[in-house]
Amino acid sequence: MTRAAVAFPSSGSYGPGSLGSIPASHPWVRRADELRSTYDLPPLSLLDAAERFDPSVHLRSANAAPLTLLSSLLDAERIADDHEVVVVVASSTGWSTALAASGALPFDDAFHLVQTMALLAEQPIVGDDPGGQLVYALTDETWQQDPMRRSALAAVLAHHPGEAHRSIELGAFTTISAVSGVLPQLASELPPVQVGRRRFPIRAGGQHAWHTPLRAAAADEAATKLANLAWTAPNVTLVDGRGVRFTPWSTDPVELGRHTVREQPTETYDFAVSLRVALREYAPDVILLPGPGASLGEVCAQLIVGEGYRGVRTRADLESQQAGGAPILLAMRR
Amino acid sequence: MTWDRVAIVERQLDTYLERAEPAARRLGLDAPLSGAGGLTAVGAIRLFEDQLTSRQLDVAARELKKTNRSFYTIASAGHENNAVVGARLRVDDPAFLHYRSGGFMMARARQLPGSTPMLDTLLGIVASSDDPISQGRHKVWGSRALWVPPQTSTIASHLPKAMGLAFSLARAKRLGVENGLPPDAIVACTFGDASANHATAIAAINTARYTVRLGLPMPLLLVCEDNGTGISVPTPDGWIAGTFADQEHLAYFHADGEMDDVWDVVGAAVDHVRKQRQPAFLHLRTIRLWGHAGSDAEHTYRTPAEIAATEADDPLLRNARRLVDSGAADPEMLRDLVRETRDRVMAVAEEALRRPRLQTTEEVIAPMAPSHPDLVALRATLPLASPDERSASFGSTLPEDATAPTSRTLAGSLNAALADELLRRPELVVFGEDVGRKGGVYNVTNGLQRRFGQARVFDTLLDETSILGIAQGAAHIGLLPVPEIQYLAYLHNALDQIRGEAASLQFFSSGQFRNPMVVRVAGLAYQKGFGGHFHNDNSIGALRDIPGLVIAAPSRGDDAVRMLRGAVAMAIEDGRVVIFLEPIALYHEKDLHATGDAGWLSDYTPPPAVLVPGEIGLHGAVDEDADVLLVSYANGLRLSLQAARRLTEDHDLRVRVLDLRWLNPLPTDSIRAHAADVGTVVVVDECRTTGAGVADAIIADLAESRTGKRLASVRAVDSFVPLGPATAAVLVGVDHIVAAAVRAVGRRRHATGARS
Repeated sequence: MTRAAVAFPSSGSYGPGSLGSIPASHPWVRRADELRSTYDLPPLSLLDAAERFDPSVHLRSANAAPLTLLSSLLDAERIADDHEVVVVVASSTGWSTALAASGALPFDDAFHLVQTMALLAEQPIVGDDPGGQLVYALTDETWQQDPMRRSALAAVLAHHPGEAHRSIELGAFTTISAVSGVLPQLASELPPVQVGRRRFPIRAGGQHAWHTPLRAAAADEAATKLANLAWTAPNVTLVDGRGVRFTPWSTDPVELGRHTVREQPTETYDFAVSLRVALREYAPDVILLPGPGASLGEVCAQLIVGEGYRGVRTRADLESQQAGGAPILLAMRR
Repeated sequence: MTWDRVAIVERQLDTYLERAEPAARRLGLDAPLSGAGGLTAVGAIRLFEDQLTSRQLDVAARELKKTNRSFYTIASAGHENNAVVGARLRVDDPAFLHYRSGGFMMARARQLPGSTPMLDTLLGIVASSDDPISQGRHKVWGSRALWVPPQTSTIASHLPKAMGLAFSLARAKRLGVENGLPPDAIVACTFGDASANHATAIAAINTARYTVRLGLPMPLLLVCEDNGTGISVPTPDGWIAGTFADQEHLAYFHADGEMDDVWDVVGAAVDHVRKQRQPAFLHLRTIRLWGHAGSDAEHTYRTPAEIAATEADDPLLRNARRLVDSGAADPEMLRDLVRETRDRVMAVAEEALRRPRLQTTEEVIAPMAPSHPDLVALRATLPLASPDERSASFGSTLPEDATAPTSRTLAGSLNAALADELLRRPELVVFGEDVGRKGGVYNVTNGLQRRFGQARVFDTLLDETSILGIAQGAAHIGLLPVPEIQYLAYLHNALDQIRGEAASLQFFSSGQFRNPMVVRVAGLAYQKGFGGHFHNDNSIGALRDIPGLVIAAPSRGDDAVRMLRGAVAMAIEDGRVVIFLEPIALYHEKDLHATGDAGWLSDYTPPPAVLVPGEIGLHGAVDEDADVLLVSYANGLRLSLQAARRLTEDHDLRVRVLDLRWLNPLPTDSIRAHAADVGTVVVVDECRTTGAGVADAIIADLAESRTGKRLASVRAVDSFVPLGPATAAVLVGVDHIVAAAVRAVGRRRHATGARS
């Protein structure tokens, strides 16, 4: 048996290439569509069947998040029997998928969690401002950390206490969130860096200021709306965005629920730490990357290199490993 | 009968879990295991997870050892209930742990999200340079993030520093030294029942109690993990309880029985220390499985029945049974957990084996003796007290303006230098026997307590082990200790505190923990009217071979003040441990050649003037040709200067005198340069002939580097120093130096034919 880690992507991962990935006849899809109607939202199967990707529709949080949930879960269902899943991690809101996939929440409850959080994320933070986020690259083209960039980032955060927040840490990239008015200032203070054809910082859409204290009201509301979910221990260990392990044996479901609903919306989500714990404490042979998309692949690859996992210490090492007979990263969608 | 005891104990747990029946009723996760107890079902399962991980790490170490892929097999097996201590303390309660602390570390790491204790431990076992604490230098339990300074001690020699840290917590707060520890932090240390007998352990416990008697806080949890055996020697029944249960100023707690009983007792002990700020002795019953270490053939000193009886008492088995019987867990769930943990540990072990190891000498010694001369020089200048501050502290006469002879001696100069350092460095503390109220046996610390207060200048009890323990503990949390060892001979009884502990900390923690300090040691011989070996010890051999240790040996007052500043700056900047060896006989010396010549008095150089290792002193024929080079230090310098005059007056020889000032590291480059220039070298070493001083090293280096042409040395006799005038029969005197120099030069003249 191969020891496998699974890394679920965040809810913004459903992209143009994801259309048509959700079979309308699958029981989960049918059930999700039923539940969507209770939110007065269009069926996901319909959105997935669209001829062309419409960002205003498909990237809308309330649609993208449950589309991602379904797409990820359907992939997870296809994980081959010769993989023993020993640990599960997730990027940001992909955590909800991890909860569903590991049985910590029944499907309906996982859906409600995702849909409710996605709708709350659409609410403005102050006035009609939904907030926003910048993505900044911390590694160079050879995937080595650039300490100058990290210190520049720290300086910018320190310069805007209470305004700018580190929301998602991915190792290679970090996102900082703020109310919209502050973003141009933050962007101007970060030294511009070029990685490949991309120039950072990049203003990113979706997940407006999630994982920051700016979302305290959303967390409060979530706690009320999601008070009755049937939390239980996962059937495989989950590692969250703090690096905390929730095992099948010692998970307190109340703690799991409280952390998910009350704490995650307002606290930095450190995917890099979660994957590091998964690699170091669970020693997977492979990391499975369910869809939609494969955007987490590069992030995971860079974290593997940063950790020197399995002797992979450079980008070239990783690329050579991937090209050989025993790749570490297995993307389930391309 | 199989002797694979690991397999037998593993099988025992499996068999139980295969046959056990679930309890009739499952406990709720929040429900206590027993009615009034504090350990909940979920808490108990988490403990069991941590204990099981610890156990499987031991199994992995033994498994890898079979193929020589691991290098450390001293196990935590049987001690896993120390996980309870790990769980009940906080991550910011500093903990000094002995080598059976796997359970403790797993439980503590659980409290810090993102921790990876399993791989971290295995990296230590396989000696990988990726080991986050020692980087492959030793298998230790340690972590910067978890506030666990690494220990290698097997003989309780870490207890004095644990006591010292507990002693220093309140003092650091009072002095405004920030170290990130909360006001109610406590300190824990763990040790076995056998090492509880060690003098070091007894000293630390004694000082802890003594401190309480003084009315001072001592938040120290002493955890004695009693497995009843010291390697092969059984501890007598009741010995630990009998020794420690009724000591004054030491609360005693006995933790035994089921895991929930242990939980409650440990909690009570921790609460006592935290709330009362007084020490507690936690007597934690454990067993030892699988011998002392992998190489220990236990069956040679215990019967099969004894071994089997111990194994039947396996805490993991007992705790599994408790979990099942109480309804906290069912057997199937625990079987699943055991299987997962075994698979996981072996998979992670394979990853650990892929990690790099230290390869080169440079890599190994990198953290041992950090040296940044430029930064040290900068550190020596900062901060600088203002003229007003100095005037306020010194009064109407600044030390540089002093004319009184007593202010211009070595002792007077050091007194002023210490005052200047205390004045400009609020974290600096001076302590030792008699240094406070009395001002030191030789007045070196005279008046400092009055000027800087009892928090910074204080008397200790008469125990060098504890003095150095306090120094280490204080240094761990940001204070800068300048302890005094009253006599060099007293140091030897406590030497392991330097040798095994203080000097090794940066090495074994890869520089992540430091205990910078300047240990003032009054020593060496030639005291007039106060004789005998004990107060005239003339050997530093026990110090010179300690890797990374800096040894300063000033001779003159004007050197001593600048060297003290260099020592302090090196301690702060590079975290170094410095022995500052002060020649007692020169403390109050005024004259050099004749009574009343005031040749040994000197003017005070105010901060920031500084001397660091490598900076030598030169006297006599420096800028001109010389016939002979005398290399010396401390008392030997003064004797050499006296000899130089006679060599010039009586033998028409031009003499250059080189003062080493620093005995570790030796100023080798300077010695070689002057030896090459002069040719004839006489090393004047006041220490005993055989390895007690520096003569061997200097002569060997000159010989091996083929530097200098005629090499000689004068050394003290290999004898203890007798009382009274008989000292002259064993110590180096001016006559010896003159004779040696004349002989050395004569051989040259004979050899060159210049003069026969």
